[in-house]
Amino acid sequence: MKQPLLFLFLLISTFALHSQPNCEAFKSQGNTLAYEACKKNESAKKHYQFSKAFQKIIDEAIAIDPSFDYAYKEKSVAYLKSGDFFTWKQLMDKAVEINPIENLGYRGWCRYQFFRDYQGAIADIELLDSLIDYEIGFSANGDYHLNIAKALCYKALGQKDKAIHILTTQLSEKDYYPGIYDQLHLGVLYLETGNYTLAVETLNAQMEFNPLGEVAYYLGLAYKAQGKNTAYQQAINQAKALYTQDKKMFDPYTHPYDKVYLSEIEAEWEEAQK
Amino acid sequence: MKQLLYYLLPLCLLSCQPSEKANGQITEYLRWVGDSKFDPALDRRDFNTCFGDKVAQYFNFSQGLQYEGEKKAIWDTFQAQYRPVESTESGWLRIRFIVNCQGETGRFRLTGMNTQYQETSFDPKISDQLLSICKSLNGWQLQPDTQNPRDYYQYLIFKIEAGDIKEILP
Repeated sequence: MKQPLLFLFLLISTFALHSQPNCEAFKSQGNTLAYEACKKNESAKKHYQFSKAFQKIIDEAIAIDPSFDYAYKEKSVAYLKSGDFFTWKQLMDKAVEINPIENLGYRGWCRYQFFRDYQGAIADIELLDSLIDYEIGFSANGDYHLNIAKALCYKALGQKDKAIHILTTQLSEKDYYPGIYDQLHLGVLYLETGNYTLAVETLNAQMEFNPLGEVAYYLGLAYKAQGKNTAYQQAINQAKALYTQDKKMFDPYTHPYDKVYLSEIEAEWEEAQK
Repeated sequence: MKQLLYYLLPLCLLSCQPSEKANGQITEYLRWVGDSKFDPALDRRDFNTCFGDKVAQYFNFSQGLQYEGEKKAIWDTFQAQYRPVESTESGWLRIRFIVNCQGETGRFRLTGMNTQYQETSFDPKISDQLLSICKSLNGWQLQPDTQNPRDYYQYLIFKIEAGDIKEILP
């Protein structure tokens, strides 16, 4: 019970990190400009973030206090989601320049999630880590601890052993509760580096925690590599069943790392029938 | 005079569009960030949206990218049809377009950025190929469903390394 509660706390902390700042705090600090910019920013919330009205209010907040970093971040979101990487980066660079500790983690995560800019994401996450002596936090969507995201970036750059090290270190952190895909990614890394016993063990742990078509698929591949044909066939059957029941990796904006598609599962299922 | 027009026309094509630049310098906004208005110089006249300018974003329906055969089918299409270009160019190239309520596509807009996140134009041998293949994709699904289809914006971002496609997003 303790672990899920801690996970919930960390998750809420993460959302708090990415949520609107408390304007009254600026007031109590005597920072009138930031307070007014914050209140103006708050008033944009009733509009859709892509809308002209939203963008204009945020511009007004920036005009009140050009050092109010949160407004640049708010303004950047619509550009990020529309794929306008150029404008998004300009705005987030400004937010990071003003307040690196509050914005590096978010910028780094987005560089990974939306652009697969692995070097850029690593640079941001590692810089954030060097600036603080406390927990670096989670991704904006709450699915990943930033160290796990960093591990995936290292994997994408071909440094699989380093990725395994980061993942296992994070998973063994006292009071760390695994994210929804952590053990899937670690299991896939073991599979890809030929550690089939560890792959099976880790993927089975993920199945207990969050059974998904992708997990069963990779588990099947690990059994196949071990020559355990019955377990392989069962796992691939299960992968197909789970996937078609919509139990699969999902992100509304982009595809999660290590995602597998139905056509790949079906191709492996055909193979498993032979 | 003709020469002057030659130089001024591309400038006008850029500057006559409503401006959406960052750094607090935005002076004029469209209805929504990223809206693509009909441009007779770029767009097919026979492509229409079903709900005027009320075009949603692909993620508004919480279903992610919806394509027949999932994103794997898009990847496979580009793998089969794109011919890598001998080039030193790397970066990201985004093609944004509208999928209308009948699953047809139009109003394609292309933007490029180098690895330093600076706006750039890719070699046309790269960008023209990508645009051409993108225009040929015909498996876009109706969103949110076939009973109540809407018009929506979709984009594809190509991560390019030395003239070849490394990844496709979103």
